[in-house]
Amino acid sequence: MRIPALAVCLSLAACAGAQSVLDPGGDQAQALFSLFGLMIGVCGIVYAIVLAGLGRVLLRAWKRPVAMADDIPDDRRLDRSLPVAAAAIVLGLTVLIVGSFLADRILFTGRQTPAVFVRVTGHQWWWRIQYRDPASGRWIETANELHLPRGETSRVSLGAADVIHSFWVPAIAGKLDMIPGRRNVIDLTPRRTGWFRGQCTEFCGAQHAHMAFDVKVDSPAGFRAWLAAQATPAPTPGGAAGRGAQVFAGSCATCHAIRGTEARGRAGPDLTHLASRRSIAAGTATMTRGNLQGWIAQPQAMKPGTSMPAVTLMPADADAVATYLAGLR
Amino acid sequence: MVSPFRRSGRAVSVAAMLLLCGCSREARDIGPSIPQTPPRGATDPRIRFYQDNVYQIAQGGRYFTWYGCTACHAGDAPGVRDLTDRQWRRGGTFDRVYASIAHGHGRHRYAARIPIEQLWQITAHVRDLPRHTPEKRRRLAVDQVGEPRGADWPGPVR
Repeated sequence: MRIPALAVCLSLAACAGAQSVLDPGGDQAQALFSLFGLMIGVCGIVYAIVLAGLGRVLLRAWKRPVAMADDIPDDRRLDRSLPVAAAAIVLGLTVLIVGSFLADRILFTGRQTPAVFVRVTGHQWWWRIQYRDPASGRWIETANELHLPRGETSRVSLGAADVIHSFWVPAIAGKLDMIPGRRNVIDLTPRRTGWFRGQCTEFCGAQHAHMAFDVKVDSPAGFRAWLAAQATPAPTPGGAAGRGAQVFAGSCATCHAIRGTEARGRAGPDLTHLASRRSIAAGTATMTRGNLQGWIAQPQAMKPGTSMPAVTLMPADADAVATYLAGLR
Repeated sequence: MVSPFRRSGRAVSVAAMLLLCGCSREARDIGPSIPQTPPRGATDPRIRFYQDNVYQIAQGGRYFTWYGCTACHAGDAPGVRDLTDRQWRRGGTFDRVYASIAHGHGRHRYAARIPIEQLWQITAHVRDLPRHTPEKRRRLAVDQVGEPRGADWPGPVR
C-alpha cells in the first residue's frame, strides 16, 4: 500500500513546474485546464457506467448460466433503456461541446484588449522576438526570451522564416503553429509571476529539441522597466571587452546585430543585451561565461547542425569576445 | 535449397540498400573535422565532400544570401557579376573560385569575415550555379524568401 501511494505522490510531483499544463499560470492555460478537468469528469463517468454494466451482466451470467437461445426474445427493458442511454450520450457530448466552445471563446476572443504587441518568428533553431515600443511604434528586438506583464494581455503574432515551427508555453496558453506564409495570432494573459518554459512542438529539423525559450512573467512595472532597458543600445565596452568588440565587428557582425555598434547582421539572434538572458542557443545551455566561450569556439559540438559556424579565432581573441558578450547586460 | 521467401527477402533488402545509397548525396559531417585551411589546388581530396554533397551546396546557398552576395550577384546580374554564364575570368577550378571569393573582392576582405568552412560551402554553391535549371532557381528563391539578406531581414515568409 505504501509503495503505490509513494508512486502516486512522485508522479504528481511532475505535474507542477515551469512547463506543465496541469499547473496553469494564465487565463488561456486555465481555460484549457478546466476543459481537461471536464473531459476527465465526463469520460470518467462514462467509463464507470460501462464497467458497471459489464460487471452486472457478467455477474448475472455467472450466477445463472443460460443456454444460447435460437431467437432473441424481445426485451421490454431493453426497449426502455435504449432511449435513456442515447439521451445520456447526447447529454455527455453536449456538455463537452459547450465546454469546448467556452474554452475557445477565452482562447481566441480574450477578455481584455491587448496591452503589449509581440512578434515571434521561428528560425532553425531559435526564436526572434520583437516588441512594439508603445511610445515610438518601432520594434525592439531580442531573442529566445519572452517577457510578459502579469495580468495584462499580450498579443503574440507568430511567423516562420524557414519551416513550420510551433509555439507552446504550456503553463500559460495552448500551442499554435508557426507556418511560413501565414501569421497566426495568440493571446497570452499570465496571472502568476515567475519563470516558465516554452518549447517548439513541431518537428523542425535536427535541433528541434534544442529550440526552447524562457518566459518571464513580471509585474507590469517590472516588465516596462525591462522593455525600456532592452530598447537602449549596448554600452560602450572598455579594456579587454573593447578588444572583444573589435573582433566581434570583424568576425561576428555579418550575422549578429548589437545595437549601438556597427554590427548589424540579421541572420542570427540580436545580441544587444545577451548577458541579461538566462540561457544561450535557444535553451541549449545556461548563460555562463564558460558556456559562452565554448559556444563561440565550437558551436557544432554543443548543438550539432546549428547554422552558427565555428569561427576560427585566436584563443586570446575568443576570450576577449566572450568577455565582451558577458558584459552586454 | 533456398526458399522463395528468403530469396524475395534478399531481393528486397538489396533494393533497400540501393535506395539508401541515394541518401549519401545529402550526408552531413558535423563536428570538429571541418576544414581549417583553404583548398590546396584543384585536386584537394576534401573538395568532393563539398562539391558532390547537396547539403553542403544548399548551406552555401543560404550563406550566399546571408552575406549579401545577392546584392551584386543576383540572377540577372550583367557581365562579370553573372555567376551562371560558365565564364570564369579567374579560373573555374574549386581553389580558384575559392580564392576569388575570399580575396577577390577588394576592400570587402571576405576571407577575414567569413569562416573557412562557410567559404568552402559558398564556393561549392557558386560552382553549382551554372548547372541550375530555371525550375531549380525558382525553388531556391522560394526556399530563401524569408532568409536575411546582408544587414536586412525581409521578415517571416509571407
